[in-house]
Amino acid sequence: MLVSKTERSNLHSIDWALLAIVLSICVIGIINIYSAGYTFSAAEKQLPFYIKQIQWVLLGMIAMTITYFIDYRFIVKGAYVIYGICVAFLLLVYFVGYTMHGSQRWLSLGGFAFQPSEPMKLALILFLARYFEDHKSVKPYKLRELVVPLFFVLVPFALILKQPDLGTAMILILVSASVIFFLGVNWKSFIIAFSGFLLSVPVVWHFLKDYQKERLIIFFNPERDPLGAGYHIIQSMIAVGSGGLFGKGFLNGTQTQLKFLPEQQTDFVFSVFAEEWGFVGGFILILLLMILIFWCLKIALHARDLSGTVIAFGIVALFSWQIFINIGMVLGVLPVVGIPLPFLSYGGSAMISFMAATGLLMNINARRFILHE
Amino acid sequence: MAADARKWLKVRIISMMVVFMVLFVALISRAFQLQILSSQSLKTMAQRQHTASLTMQPDRGIIYDRNGEKLAITVLADSVCSDPSRITNAAAVSAKVAQILNLDRKSVHQKISAPRNFSWLARRISPEQADQIRQADIEGIFLIKEPKRFYPNGPLGAHLLGFVGADNSGLEGLEYKYEDVLKENAQSLAWVRDAKGKKLFLRAEQTETQNKESLNLVLTIDNRIQYLVETHLKEAVEARGAKGGIAIVMNPKTGEILALANEKAFNPNDISGLSPNSWRNRAVTDAFDPGSTFKPFLVAAALEEKVVRESDRIFCEDGSLTVADRTIREANHKRHGYLSVKDILKYSSNIGSVKIAQKLGKEKYFRYIENFGFGARTGIELPGEAAGILRPAQNWTSVDTAAIAFGQGISVTAIQLIAAMSAIANNGVLMKPYIVRGLTDKENNPVKMNEPEIVRQVISPETARRMTRMLTQVVAAEDGTGKNAYIANVAVAGKTGTAQKFDFARNVYSSDRVRTSFIGFFPADNPQVSILVILDEPQTDKWGGVAAAPVFKNIGEQILNCFETNISRTQIVKADVSDRVNLISAQNDHIRSSSFAADDSEMPDFTGLTIRQALRKAKANSIDLKVSGSGWAIRQYPQAGAPLGSARVCKVFFESGY
Repeated sequence: MLVSKTERSNLHSIDWALLAIVLSICVIGIINIYSAGYTFSAAEKQLPFYIKQIQWVLLGMIAMTITYFIDYRFIVKGAYVIYGICVAFLLLVYFVGYTMHGSQRWLSLGGFAFQPSEPMKLALILFLARYFEDHKSVKPYKLRELVVPLFFVLVPFALILKQPDLGTAMILILVSASVIFFLGVNWKSFIIAFSGFLLSVPVVWHFLKDYQKERLIIFFNPERDPLGAGYHIIQSMIAVGSGGLFGKGFLNGTQTQLKFLPEQQTDFVFSVFAEEWGFVGGFILILLLMILIFWCLKIALHARDLSGTVIAFGIVALFSWQIFINIGMVLGVLPVVGIPLPFLSYGGSAMISFMAATGLLMNINARRFILHE
Repeated sequence: MAADARKWLKVRIISMMVVFMVLFVALISRAFQLQILSSQSLKTMAQRQHTASLTMQPDRGIIYDRNGEKLAITVLADSVCSDPSRITNAAAVSAKVAQILNLDRKSVHQKISAPRNFSWLARRISPEQADQIRQADIEGIFLIKEPKRFYPNGPLGAHLLGFVGADNSGLEGLEYKYEDVLKENAQSLAWVRDAKGKKLFLRAEQTETQNKESLNLVLTIDNRIQYLVETHLKEAVEARGAKGGIAIVMNPKTGEILALANEKAFNPNDISGLSPNSWRNRAVTDAFDPGSTFKPFLVAAALEEKVVRESDRIFCEDGSLTVADRTIREANHKRHGYLSVKDILKYSSNIGSVKIAQKLGKEKYFRYIENFGFGARTGIELPGEAAGILRPAQNWTSVDTAAIAFGQGISVTAIQLIAAMSAIANNGVLMKPYIVRGLTDKENNPVKMNEPEIVRQVISPETARRMTRMLTQVVAAEDGTGKNAYIANVAVAGKTGTAQKFDFARNVYSSDRVRTSFIGFFPADNPQVSILVILDEPQTDKWGGVAAAPVFKNIGEQILNCFETNISRTQIVKADVSDRVNLISAQNDHIRSSSFAADDSEMPDFTGLTIRQALRKAKANSIDLKVSGSGWAIRQYPQAGAPLGSARVCKVFFESGY
């Protein structure tokens, strides 16, 4: 069932290139996290972040293996169940999740902090793949046809926004919108939806926490509060900019090593990298991420069926938006929202779901030549 | 999927690729903007964030005597600072620290609980207090060394050396004159700090390299001669009840000053309560009528001009000569008949001198006086040198000429006088007096050496020898006025002098307020040392031969006995540099730049200041100061940091520390 005889030969066509790109980005991430945590005092009684990140990458590879070997069509069949489980986890977070930095995002799973909103992103993509596989349409979708999927998008969106986690919630919307737009939307419907979105902005604003509002205000004028909310943006820009063309060298980033940079192993890893490796290093890293995106788009293009295309494209959208928003934030062109940089930021839940996503991509790629049964 | 659909898919995928491409290019251009275009300004911002600078009190060059003995050094005094972030029990710590340092407990408490990582608690405390702090060993309270000028020999050579002010800059003497050389630019140390202001370590590559290192000063002064000169001068001043005194020892062949003393001496380590008069180096700053010590220059001029010869007999008018409206008498109302030129010197006859001056003529006399260096600064490296007063000859009346013949109506400085006498000792060659042998760098390698400088040949060597012979008689003869300067087995040439001080109140020369002096050199056949001793207003033995000559003799004898005139140009001894200030020590790990600005609303700290400094500070803060004691301020009430109310009064107790 998992691997039929006819498929077995195709499984040899593992997308080594994709694997190599992803793993090299992971290795860069680990090295970078090593530097980010380099000057943490040894007194802290926990494993260094880079060691833990290695563990997450290894766990992620297990997840990747699983998502690779299970036929994605089978996974798509179970998409609603997966979606349901993830929403259940989010509800669990809402009731029994624990709070860090003022937001309730985590579940405690045997000593590990598990963030269900990360796999939720993938689950939503699978949900959309299943839904549109079931509701194929040659013509662009009309708004009325999109009400149901939009509802299922808004459920996790609301739960995540409530945590509050504006960044992740926004990613859900952006990814879903990208997928739907990609599938084709009726112009009229699009205009109505877009106006609806604009109208909802003040409503969403109303629901935002003060610190989130503050962040958005500060984004437009970071100097207003250089030691408070504007600190992140300014420090990040200083770290990146002071790196110059070739950077200050590995472990030599003053802003990183002297802890001027906030959240340097999670959301601001790119600043660490750009400070120590300079424009040249940052350029190469961005190039590597771009190659990853294009490679995934190619997989989406060659997918055997619509669900494959939707999954691949959804993952592309997920990666891309996270990369743009994260790096944009680090470079001071986008507001500070807590979105990790795929494969580079420290964090278990994100790493495992991104690796699982990679496995899915390889899955879709490997099964692209299989004829319909 | 239908081929049509697949084509449509391809279009959409490619258009997405284009969109992503644009976004990636946008990211890269933003990175370019930050990392290349704004790189410089952001680098500066980063630098400013993670470096803190600490301005270190600059080091100051050492002053050595000619043998490498240290006359002025920089020692390290302890200052107390705190790292409030490491203090847990602020109340207990502040109580303890305030008690040791005699500070106000509340202000200490305030300083050590401030949200900073560094604050000064007290600067340059006493070694005893420092020991107590060290023993208390309080977490978050530590000592750092700050340089302080110290004169190890106390008052020795104080008038030469001068002293430094609170900011370590020279205010008087050589400290002032050589400020540029001794001073070092304040050194700025760069420290790296993290976002919390902790974990500081020195970042050597960012420490401003000093563009100027201080140099050491090596003097011509011989510490030992200076000491015995000061001792004898002091003894004489006290014995004779004199107001003060000057003594200079010089090498006549080179112009090197071997010793220069002023009485009363002062301690440059503690100048509190002293008036500027007490640190004036009168040997160079004050001009006075030289009196009879001036006669040898007249005689030398007359001999050189062949107006007279040693054996020429001159009628001395039986002790009374009228020039214009003035009657000139001999000292002590002596009466001389005919005296040879030689005897005129020996008996120091005023009338004989007047007659020689009349024979010589004022123009020639003036020229010789000028050539001997009077009326112009010698150029010695001491601040505030006076030129003396030498009026042009055409303005001299006959009375002036007569008075100048025996050293009145002209004013000269002690340094001019000894330089001129040394010219007679040195075959008629006037040497420029100097006191700085050279400058050395931190490792005591010579940077600049001063060489003896000839000013001019004033009289011929022959005349000089004849003068020396006559001046030897002044001392050696049984009836010579300088017989009290006689040193056994050594031919001493010299001349006494007693100048009446001009009484400005009555506009006449005072008969009882005199300046008595002796000037001479030895050995006469090969002069090695010339010495000038001046006693200001001795109460007993006013006449030069009696009061000043024995001081000359004592100094001379001891120089001969102790040093066997071994005062030639010895090699500068390489001084030990191991005790040089080394500020960059591991101890300073917690320093962060901090300015210690006095708050207007609290009582300033007066401790450690001199009375003068305290008064100045009090005035600046509009506080009435009640002074008790003298020396350095050791205690004050209310204590530093106490809130200032409407009554701005502070009582400060001073004590002499040295």
